[in-house]
Amino acid sequence: MRSWLLGLAIGLALADSSIVTLALPEILSQFDVGVATVAWVLTSFNLVLALLAVPAAYVARRRPRRTFVSGAIVFAASSLACGLAPSFEVLVVARSFQAAGAAAVVVAALGLLSETTGNEVRAARYWVAAGVLGAAFGPSAGGVLTETLGWESIFLVQVPLALVPLVALRGLSARPLRAPAERPHLTANTALLLLSGGLVAALFLLVLLLVSGWGMSPAAAGLVVTVMPLAAIAAARLSPRAIGVGMRTASGVILVAGGLASLAFLPRAGWAWTIAPQLLVGAGIGLALAALTERAVAGRAEQVVHGGWTLAARHAGVVLGLLLLAPVLTAALDRNEDEALRAGVAEVLDSRIPAIEKLRLAQDVLEQVDSAEGNGELPDVGAAFEDRPSSEEYRDLLSGLQDQLQRAVTNAFSGPFLLAAALALAALVPVALARGEPL
Amino acid sequence: MRRATPLYAAIAAVAAVVVPYVALGGASYEPTAAADPCVAREWRDPGGVQAVLEQVVLSAVDGAACELGVTREEFVLAMRDEESLDAFAAQHRLSRADAERAVEDALARAIDDAEDGGALSGFAASVLRRAVVALPPWLVLEALESVRGLLP
Repeated sequence: MRSWLLGLAIGLALADSSIVTLALPEILSQFDVGVATVAWVLTSFNLVLALLAVPAAYVARRRPRRTFVSGAIVFAASSLACGLAPSFEVLVVARSFQAAGAAAVVVAALGLLSETTGNEVRAARYWVAAGVLGAAFGPSAGGVLTETLGWESIFLVQVPLALVPLVALRGLSARPLRAPAERPHLTANTALLLLSGGLVAALFLLVLLLVSGWGMSPAAAGLVVTVMPLAAIAAARLSPRAIGVGMRTASGVILVAGGLASLAFLPRAGWAWTIAPQLLVGAGIGLALAALTERAVAGRAEQVVHGGWTLAARHAGVVLGLLLLAPVLTAALDRNEDEALRAGVAEVLDSRIPAIEKLRLAQDVLEQVDSAEGNGELPDVGAAFEDRPSSEEYRDLLSGLQDQLQRAVTNAFSGPFLLAAALALAALVPVALARGEPL
Repeated sequence: MRRATPLYAAIAAVAAVVVPYVALGGASYEPTAAADPCVAREWRDPGGVQAVLEQVVLSAVDGAACELGVTREEFVLAMRDEESLDAFAAQHRLSRADAERAVEDALARAIDDAEDGGALSGFAASVLRRAVVALPPWLVLEALESVRGLLP
């Protein structure tokens, strides 16, 4: 039971790296900020977590209980501040404190798990599984909460949940470790950094494509992306123990990169086309992320410090991915918007509606485009047809316009998905180059 | 189980998704490419009044776009308002007058073609020519609508 509660704390803390993805459009709209600015809700959390994970681990190795309690309280208090934030600046500052709390909770939990499970290797596996599941289920949970209760609920719900695991500490005597720490596992941590950079596309870009690109509701998109964590669980449980860490890593990296490349080649817009790529990415996460983290942490002295290093590597990878992929996506969306506009004008000019209506309708559609551009959203071309006849000609034209828009949006995500696939695949390089530190 | 079996299985699984996706058009799922404005378009319904009006304007837009070396759609977007027209002219290193002259010339040619082809009466063609000179390009369709009753 104690291990479960500690697992909840780890999963909850790490879910926050991706949980707000589906809430970003609402946050953008409420605080009236730009697309590049709103991304700081994600970036600040991952950056602070990457920076503080190792210092927090050095503190936690000496005082695991106190670090865990302090981290949980800071996490709960800053979650409350996020949910009640009166301005965007307050939200970003609160997210940074939330990340500081998360860093303390996650690394201290690794030390405490060694006590509750009675075995360091088992503790490391438990810690890895809770962290991977938390990060992977984050977008789904965030999507459902955003749609049902609003984006603030994502943070408010976490306040009591962050404090519940403190019950696990009652009667638990954690043993402070004093042994000198081995140097971090460079190969595994570098591979983790690159793989996590690529996974940004699966955890963030995919949900953006589903909601902002294809118009799915956050809750529905949240359900669609549960395929990934489920595939991760299945792959981790079904992979034979006889497979070595190196082979699990290589197979997993290829699955993640292949899944991301598949997302770059979607033949149509529609959530069903994302299922097979998600299965690949999820299976890859279950194999590679778990194998690499275990390799970097399990049985190494001191385990808590190495937990801090892997946490830092993973979240530095997320920041790297966000910094690399966001500008590529923004540029591609701008370029494809121009192409979509041209294709849309061709649809209107070649349609069978009356000639004079073509000009007026084109103006109405362009007004929708301008208005959406101002809000950082995709245009709702259907709104331009609301007061027009529902004849076959208009229906065909609307369907043609929507098709062009979906083609443009889906195509704009292709480049970032391919770049993410390359980043994930690059994780094989440190693995292949490692001589003294074989996996 | 051979040592590299999981690796082969992973590669096979990736190929089983990527290859069909590319075969189904995944590599070319993008907005439809713009047509060449210098290639003559066929009349959809040469007998109807609506088709005549449309043909005149679309033919003019094609002609102007061809002359300026841009796509028809790019040209129509430039005609959206004065700001767009200025941006278009700057992007293609044209003066605004060049762009407007290209539209007027193309409209005049389209009206000549329609009159020669018997789609417009001499009187209607004359009224339209005056409209071309007097009105901004984006209002020419309005003028065409107003002379609808004068068509043969």
